[in-house]
Amino acid sequence: MIIAERKPMNELLDMISGVKRLLVLGCRGCVAICSAGGDKEVSVIAAALKLGRSRSGEPIEIDEATLVRQCDPEYLEPLPEMAKDYDAVLSTACGVGVNFISDRCDGVNVLPGLNTTFYGANLSSGEWEEMCAGCGSCVLHLTGGLCPVARCAKSLSNGPCGGSTGGKCEINPTVPCVWHRIYDKLMDRKEEKRLQEIMPIRDWTTAGHGGPRRRIREDLLP
Amino acid sequence: MSAKIKGFCCNYTASVGVDALKEAGLVPEDFEMERLPCTGRLEVPQLLEAFEKGADAVFVAGCMVDECHNLSGSRRASKRVGQTKKIIQELGMDQGLVEMFFVGRGETGPVVDAVREMASRLEQTD
Repeated sequence: MIIAERKPMNELLDMISGVKRLLVLGCRGCVAICSAGGDKEVSVIAAALKLGRSRSGEPIEIDEATLVRQCDPEYLEPLPEMAKDYDAVLSTACGVGVNFISDRCDGVNVLPGLNTTFYGANLSSGEWEEMCAGCGSCVLHLTGGLCPVARCAKSLSNGPCGGSTGGKCEINPTVPCVWHRIYDKLMDRKEEKRLQEIMPIRDWTTAGHGGPRRRIREDLLP
Repeated sequence: MSAKIKGFCCNYTASVGVDALKEAGLVPEDFEMERLPCTGRLEVPQLLEAFEKGADAVFVAGCMVDECHNLSGSRRASKRVGQTKKIIQELGMDQGLVEMFFVGRGETGPVVDAVREMASRLEQTD
């Protein structure tokens, strides 16, 4: 899922400076699952902003709402009407939601409530880790299911760098060297031959270096 | 103007009513206590709203960690107090202005102590 985290309160308060009526708009997609922008977090952000503004002598009226998702047009349909009485909408969706509202809902002054950080998995309650870089050219079948693009600090394609020590990455001793883990995994699977294969120089076009990416499935088009 | 302290407690904390404590002069007149079925029911927005509605200091008095009537209610409350501390600090407030106290079931003394502790912290932040 997409992992995000709330922006610092001083940044949010700067962002809504001068706003008298604000709608904090949550999303029940990924950001609700990673406890950054669902119903509960919307309530926390709204209460904190009210307190912040009240302390600065500029009380603000804040309402709360949450959409099923902010990245599908059908759920955004009611938003222009919902938002018409507000000076701004603080979206607690990921950056996709904020962009989509900006694209689709003319007249809605949408602001980002979160920093969108990575695609990750939930390791345990309150802990998430990056697992995928969304690079558009998956090599997991060659690397024992472990991604060197997302999980190697240098995104190396052909084995570890010289900084790998005792199975740990040089950037931080708590970070496992993913190439060390790939080696162990392929050896366990008796697929050590894979380690002899040289991956060609990577074409990063699919990773967004060729501009914004778009996927079209003709059979699903209206 | 005296500082206003607001407390939250659970159904099992502090058997003596706040009015009796005020009559006995054990807590300030404007001290306010909100009793919940369980402090585990408390959410961060309620703590923040208490400040917004005028409290200068806020505390939660929940069951002792291993004696919570609902097993983990007071532990949950403690985590929410922790979250609230971080948020009020981001808003430029002293994080000591919100606190969790674990008190024995039915004991009033520790609740009075909690009120006094918060009053003392407020004096220090003035």
